[in-house]
Amino acid sequence: MKRLAACGVAVVALLALCVLSLCVGNEWIGPGAVYRALTDFGGSDVDRVVRYLRLPRTVAGLVVGAALGLAGGLMQGVTRNPLADPGILGVTAGAAAAVVGAIGLLGVHSLTGYVWFAMGGALVTTVVVYLIGGAAPVRLALTGAAISAMLGSLTSAVTLLDLSTLNEYRFWVVGSLSLATGPIVAQALPFVAVGTILALVLGQSLNQLALGDELAQSLGTRMILVRVLAGAAVVVLAGTATAIAGPIGFVGLAVPHVARRIVGPDYRRLLPWSMVVAPMVLLLADVLGRIAVRPAELQVGIVTALIGAPVFIALVRRQRVAEL
Amino acid sequence: MAVVRVFAAVLSLSLLAGCGPAAEARSGPGATTVKNCGIDVTVDGPPQRVFAAYQPAIEMAHALGISDRLVGTAYLDAEVLPEYAGAQAKAKYFKNLPSREELLSLEPDFVLSGFNDVFSAAGSDASFGSRKSLADLGVRTWIFSPLCPTADGKGDEAIDPSTVSMDNVYADLRELGRLFGVEKRAEEVIADQQRRIAAVEAAVRDAPRPTVAIVRPGLEGGGMTVSGGPDFGTVLIRQAGGVNAFADLTTKRNVQISVEEFIKRDPDYVLISGCCDASLTPAAAKPDVDELLANPAFANLTAVREKHVIPWLFANHSAGVRGAHTTENLGRILHPDLVR
Repeated sequence: MKRLAACGVAVVALLALCVLSLCVGNEWIGPGAVYRALTDFGGSDVDRVVRYLRLPRTVAGLVVGAALGLAGGLMQGVTRNPLADPGILGVTAGAAAAVVGAIGLLGVHSLTGYVWFAMGGALVTTVVVYLIGGAAPVRLALTGAAISAMLGSLTSAVTLLDLSTLNEYRFWVVGSLSLATGPIVAQALPFVAVGTILALVLGQSLNQLALGDELAQSLGTRMILVRVLAGAAVVVLAGTATAIAGPIGFVGLAVPHVARRIVGPDYRRLLPWSMVVAPMVLLLADVLGRIAVRPAELQVGIVTALIGAPVFIALVRRQRVAEL
Repeated sequence: MAVVRVFAAVLSLSLLAGCGPAAEARSGPGATTVKNCGIDVTVDGPPQRVFAAYQPAIEMAHALGISDRLVGTAYLDAEVLPEYAGAQAKAKYFKNLPSREELLSLEPDFVLSGFNDVFSAAGSDASFGSRKSLADLGVRTWIFSPLCPTADGKGDEAIDPSTVSMDNVYADLRELGRLFGVEKRAEEVIADQQRRIAAVEAAVRDAPRPTVAIVRPGLEGGGMTVSGGPDFGTVLIRQAGGVNAFADLTTKRNVQISVEEFIKRDPDYVLISGCCDASLTPAAAKPDVDELLANPAFANLTAVREKHVIPWLFANHSAGVRGAHTTENLGRILHPDLVR
């Protein structure tokens, strides 16, 4: 009963944040006008701002948030590392390096072009990390960190050699939801759906994995399979999120800990909760970013770092970060 | 080998600096001192080894007729004006700014910069070190005065909008003319600029003044980057019979705004300023123009409906001897029947 109530509160809060995200911006647009813009599109400036700027942005917040929350929860489960996030397998670095390569070496300049490179870069990097690192969590994390560092310096090298790439790459250094447009989000949806299903199916296996390798093995968990599937889900989820919004930190790291405090360590509940809490955090951060420095906007990646870092430090200091 | 040369050069320069007064403000007979952005620039005789950084400085050097004194040029935003193409083809060119050491290895006695960040501590192109640190090594420096930061070591965020004027370009020409001993040439350049700009101003005097936005392509941080009040574009647009739609934003030259703010201001003309390659032409901005025209969020904009979104050059709105060229170019864009 209590759990159901919490669930209700979360859903209502998420919906309220969606409405807020549609109303708040450079200028406040009332819910009535937003409703008319969505149902009875007349082509006015207000209609266009709602339909072509704020709606894709809000949907992107939901999709990217859900993907990052899930990917973070998965990473922490599969590596049994409370500080794990999608970055640890080199997913973000791989996506960014591929995007910069696409811009600098292949001359790809449209956002729809980046998407596939980001996904490909994430996938290739993760496969390489798995091949080198093997299955053990510590080796995997170390390999991921090493590959990330290597890709990071490659990215720097390309951008330093080519200034016009550097200019475009700046947009990829800090994530932003306003890069999203309707077609891009639509293109990304199937990927996130597949990743989500995969992630939710793995809940029980992650619970067994949390007991330690030996116990998990004796319970019949096929650990390599679980790790490969979880890795695949993370690549799809985090790769797509990065393709839509660029790299956004802290959400994948901090949100699973918040979810853990609400529903405990059971991954069958923790993962869906991460999926709901993360978009809330992201939408709130984005709305704050829109009003903080008008007439400019603060990228959501900056806001999540600004809010996320202190919250996470507080969690750590109060020793609420669960031992995994 | 090159490394050894660089090392030797740096060593000899630092030894020179160690000798004290020798490299400090020399004021022997025949010395000329001119104030630039609050700093005394003193030369014993006309500088002979000049390094020109960025498009405006490179074009200024060619305009003053000191092309043969250039030991290096760096970082063009676009093709140089046709009248300087021949001279630039002969100059040593660095695609990116050289490092401080690389610069010093060229043994310049004068660095002319068309952008202040290269001397700033934390600018986007911080690389040469502060002007004082170069003066200590006997290297004189010059920043175009419409870009003067409030203090040495500061960059673009510290420009006083009231200094952004063609008059300051003329003052620079005159003073550089004195330093380099090419006063006559400087006066000729000034007269040519004044004549051409006055002609455009006269032609558009009574015309209605459209609002103009200069936009850097791409979405920066999810927003757009436009030229604000302290950007030289504000002056050039005014001369050509228009108004910078973002002139009231004065925190920096390049201001980031949200897409919604851009829609709210609804500029009559949008110039997309493509940048940063020595062979760049306005055509390079065409894909960004098409992207803006195709974006349904912008469909109501006056500039979009009237197809007044124009591929343009970042180089065009820099302070310098491009002023007359750009004023004419903008005049033709904004008032095609009045300016030919």
